[in-house]
Amino acid sequence: MRQINRSFISALLFVCLLSSCKEDIPKDPVIPNEEELITTLYLNLMPGTGQLVTLSFEDLDGAGGAAPIIKGGTLAPNTTYEGILTLFNELEDPVGDISVEIEDEALDHQFFFQTDIPGLDVSYNDQDSEGNPIGLRTIISTPDSGSSGTLTITLRHEPDKDATGVSEGDISNAGGETDIQVTFEIDVQ
Amino acid sequence: MYNKHTLLFALFFLLPFFSMAQDCTVTISGQITDLSTEEPISYATIFLKEVSKGAISDSSGFFLLSDICPGNYHLDISHIGCETTELYLEISQDTSLIVRMDHNAQLLDEVIVSGAHSKTSSQEVQALNEKSISENTDQNLANMLDNISGVSTLRNGNGISKPIIHGLYGNRITILNNGITQNGQQWGIDHSPEIDPLVANKITVIKGVGVLEYQGNSLGSVILVEPNKIENEPHIHGKARYFFESNGLGNGLNLQFQQHNKKIAWRAVGTLKKSGDKRSPDYFLRNTGSAEANIALQLEKQFSESWNSDIYFSSFNTRLGILRGSHIGNLTDLEEALNQDQPFFTEPDFAYAIEAPSQQVNHQLLKVHTQYFIGSNQWIDFSYAGQLDLRKEYDVRRSGRSDEPALSLKQFSNFLEAKYQGDFRFGLKVKTGIQLSRIANTNIPETGVLPLIPDYINYKTGVFGILSKKSEKLFFELGGRFDYQDRRIAAISISLPREIVRYNTKFQNLSTSGGIVYNPIPTIKLAANIGLASRNPEINELYSNGLHQGVSGIEEGNPDLFQEKSFKTTFSFEGRFGKKLFFESLVYYQSISDYIFLAPQDEFRLTIRGAFPVFKYEQTDAQIYGLDLSTTFQVSDKLQAALKYSYIKGLDQTNNIPLIFMPPGNIFTALNYQIPKVDNIQNLEFQINNKWVFEQGNLLPFQDYSPAPPAYNLLGAKISAEKQFSKTRLNIYLKVDNILNVSYRDYLNRQRYFADDLGVNFILGINMQF
Repeated sequence: MRQINRSFISALLFVCLLSSCKEDIPKDPVIPNEEELITTLYLNLMPGTGQLVTLSFEDLDGAGGAAPIIKGGTLAPNTTYEGILTLFNELEDPVGDISVEIEDEALDHQFFFQTDIPGLDVSYNDQDSEGNPIGLRTIISTPDSGSSGTLTITLRHEPDKDATGVSEGDISNAGGETDIQVTFEIDVQ
Repeated sequence: MYNKHTLLFALFFLLPFFSMAQDCTVTISGQITDLSTEEPISYATIFLKEVSKGAISDSSGFFLLSDICPGNYHLDISHIGCETTELYLEISQDTSLIVRMDHNAQLLDEVIVSGAHSKTSSQEVQALNEKSISENTDQNLANMLDNISGVSTLRNGNGISKPIIHGLYGNRITILNNGITQNGQQWGIDHSPEIDPLVANKITVIKGVGVLEYQGNSLGSVILVEPNKIENEPHIHGKARYFFESNGLGNGLNLQFQQHNKKIAWRAVGTLKKSGDKRSPDYFLRNTGSAEANIALQLEKQFSESWNSDIYFSSFNTRLGILRGSHIGNLTDLEEALNQDQPFFTEPDFAYAIEAPSQQVNHQLLKVHTQYFIGSNQWIDFSYAGQLDLRKEYDVRRSGRSDEPALSLKQFSNFLEAKYQGDFRFGLKVKTGIQLSRIANTNIPETGVLPLIPDYINYKTGVFGILSKKSEKLFFELGGRFDYQDRRIAAISISLPREIVRYNTKFQNLSTSGGIVYNPIPTIKLAANIGLASRNPEINELYSNGLHQGVSGIEEGNPDLFQEKSFKTTFSFEGRFGKKLFFESLVYYQSISDYIFLAPQDEFRLTIRGAFPVFKYEQTDAQIYGLDLSTTFQVSDKLQAALKYSYIKGLDQTNNIPLIFMPPGNIFTALNYQIPKVDNIQNLEFQINNKWVFEQGNLLPFQDYSPAPPAYNLLGAKISAEKQFSKTRLNIYLKVDNILNVSYRDYLNRQRYFADDLGVNFILGINMQF
């Protein structure tokens, strides 16, 4: 009976087709909950004493669409900062904390820091269960003299953490695929 | 199109003679001749299965089987390279037969797939026969067709490949699955046709200018995947085909059963295939395994002399792994990958496991067809077809989301057709029809990702008419087609807040084509063809928007695109000189105005993954021209030499730059040595072949991330033999591809950025016919 009904419906559908019915339009598509998206990155730099510096990258509509808003920062010379990276998905309601996801999958993730500022040093301040760095927490020390340049933060998914130099922060042999790659303008003065 | 077996049956005459014979004194005699030249075929093997009685045709093609008891018999006729013909005979008296075999086609066999010398079309037709399908069971559809000159494959690794015919692929060509336009997600450059070639008895490529009879977007060429009509044979018969391949440790099994009893004719076909990581000469290609399970069911019923119906159902199901090292996050990753000796994630060990990135495709087709004859020379066909296509693509994702597809599409299509054909006096033929279709494409909301293409419902209505006339030496053909397309789209905006944006596009297409065939003598055929066709912009060209990770670029559709219009002309010249030289040649020229292509922009867009180049769909005027050539030379009775060459050039005329993804020229040569009979072994064949692929020099540096790979050369070999047991015919073959295990990369393989192509591969196959 059900099958007969079905064939009746498909027959109707064709009558509909013949008259090219105007009402036959696609239903409203379900707008996906883009829970995997990373829209926002903050690098909070806390000196022992002095001003907190926040570097931020915000691209609320994801890849494509509107351009991201990037804010660099000014660091004091000869200072050691404690760096904390946080990642959010602000398209989600409530806002999703991606840093937690990264921490949960620490073995499969590593951040890399590259800079062209001489004397600016970034070292890892956290590790995964196998003793390799993650990079959500860092220690950043600035050179004695003032200069300016860029700091590039890269997040690799499924890198080879055991490859030469990778656990020291050298990205060359890391492999994996890039989930994040953002560049900040930095002044040291 | 007719199929081979109806042809064989039509050309096979039963001439019964009255005789007083009683008991076991009946004789079966006959002559075997060549279909095209009418010359006798000697050394053909004739075998009466039930009594295991055999004969060999003499120098005049005659054979005689005597002392046969009256009864029902299966008679097998085989000849080297030919497809074995099986006849079912009800013998009550002395019987004489004339069997005509298509010797022309077998001359070339799968070395050069020869055109069936069809005079019923002025379009260039080339076909893979059942023998070449049986001896390439390890291949998918596109890779099988790669044997035909003028056909290449656009690949994403070995498992994912789509055919390119005369430089066009995807939506610019049409694939017909048992007469029904294949509806799937063919817009994707990395989407294979969703068809199991092993359900077919014949696969035909029409390298035409516009095939008017079929609904589709074709700007020229069409691929037909056709199962035969079920032979009139009251017993259950079937085939079993098995292969093993060393590269990827692949196994495949294909089983077919069929019967034509008094009530109904039926056929059931099933295929299972599994293979693991393929291997380039120096390393395993991790995550390149595949698994496939397909079935097809066919029912035919003759209700009366003038009324018959058939039902066809097929289900195609596949899972395809994609090279792990080809999954990249941004342009820096791509640059790094380009500089690697071997891809990232390469493992020292072989594995069958398929992980992300991967694709899973399920395609079901149901066709119901009925045919009424009005008198003996006119008939009407009604067909309905429904197709359900499901495609899921998996990416490497965070937090266990690799098990959730990043793309999940469902497409449901319905098709209705009424066709009239009439054969009239003076060789006049009329064919006309009307076709309606509705395609509904839906993104299944399980991905957590913005869809790559939007949801839509597409209506298409078309009418066509073709008139042809045949005389002794000439054949003319003229036809026209009109289509109306109404597409309703519901997309999700890129801008925030996300909202639903609706579009409605309407297009009209007018196509026409005409052709002429001239046979000055029976062995020479000249054909010319001209056609005008148009193609509507496809859904991805109009509305795709966003990051296309696989190609490391941001792709932007353009809702304002208009139709592309094509003018194509072909000229072919084929035939044989004496008994030694057979050749086919085809030159073609195609000009496409408003050709839609993905143009790299002078712009990088910043995302959290880094900066990506932007590509936009644009239109230009393009031209494509080329040459396909195949020839065989019969060096001696046993030795044949074959040569195939194809050349193609594509140009963006507006910007005066080359078109991308044009196949580089290639030369294929083969030597075939055949021995009709050694002891009990028949049709022993040795082949050595060589394929040289030129470098695609016709490419500018800014058109690609890396220059086209250098030319390469692949050497191959094959041995095959047949043996007849009382009721079973056995065919065994051993093939070796890339014997020298050379490392190479192919311009048309998109994984060439990351890894070498396949290394040496031994394929052992066993085919049984019972």
